Amino acid sequence: MAHLNEHTHPVTPPKTYALVLLALLVLTFITVQASYIDFGPWNTVVALVIASAKGSLVALFFMHLRHDRFNAVIFVGGLLFLAIFLIWTLFDIANRQPVLPSNLKTPIQEFPGAPLNGPVRPSTGQPRGTAQ
Amino acid sequence: MSTLTSSAHPHADHGHTPFLQHHFREMSQQFDAAKIGMWLFLVTEVLLFGGLFVGYGIMHARHPEAFMAAHHHLDRTLGALNTVVLLISSFTMVMSVWAAQTDRKKLLILFLLLTLMCAGVFMVVKYFEYSHKFHEGLLPGKYYSHKGDTVPGQFMFFSFYFMMTGLHGIHVLAGMVAITWLLVRAIKGHFSSEYYSPVEITGLYWHLVDLIWIYLFPLMYLIS
Repeated sequence: MAHLNEHTHPVTPPKTYALVLLALLVLTFITVQASYIDFGPWNTVVALVIASAKGSLVALFFMHLRHDRFNAVIFVGGLLFLAIFLIWTLFDIANRQPVLPSNLKTPIQEFPGAPLNGPVRPSTGQPRGTAQ
Repeated sequence: MSTLTSSAHPHADHGHTPFLQHHFREMSQQFDAAKIGMWLFLVTEVLLFGGLFVGYGIMHARHPEAFMAAHHHLDRTLGALNTVVLLISSFTMVMSVWAAQTDRKKLLILFLLLTLMCAGVFMVVKYFEYSHKFHEGLLPGKYYSHKGDTVPGQFMFFSFYFMMTGLHGIHVLAGMVAITWLLVRAIKGHFSSEYYSPVEITGLYWHLVDLIWIYLFPLMYLIS
């Protein structure tokens, strides 16, 4: 962390930055094109992987984390907590069954026109059978 | 961070600039301290937006059809344009840091101006997107008044859309204020290879705003 001598901040040549920008623009093009391809359940994963590749480029080159181990640890530590927050929440969501209070006999409608604890068929807006 | 010029301090051997605060031993120590402070702040920003992303994830998982249908109201072309504009602004911002590091005052001013322009373009595009949504009645929560939906519950998508892009837009505006402040100081000739902490630190903030948009764009515009 502490640099005791001055000028320990290496100057990155503009060419590197220009190449990073080019890579970012190419990845943006790819992510737009990929959104037209159906990967089934992997759609969101593909989008997030490409976004993370772009984010890594920005953090490493534009934010100079390549030469900045100390702050990289701070940043990645923050991301780690965010990952725990997100992934554990999604574990819960993925494994949830509709649970009704014991004194309630009818399913809850979350908002007018909503399915009763289950997904909707887009064409009709009606419940599609039973909940997953 | 403050622009106070300290009075002549006893350490004349490295008192090249008037911008060294008296409580730091040397410029690089001041620079590192400022940078750590900024990174800690950026982590809090990540967690602030992170909470919204988690909420988005929950609602998207529970109501996939509603989110799917709602995102068709968004214009992908404008979203992609804004992504490109913001990426270019990140590049010009990092180039202004480079210009400061290499004592190129004219280029520093030029790149700061370009960054400001890109941010302005981003906000103008946002204005057109938002006014279109207002006009269509695609508003968050109970204000949603769009007619003729076949899929119910689309208001939830717009609650997240406006909360997340709105908070992001406020960050862009704050970034524009910070860059304007840099521009004023750059014109005054404050920055050099010796002292460019404010440029570097504003740059870090600006790249984080860009980073958040990198995730917002596919999640909002490219659901498939």
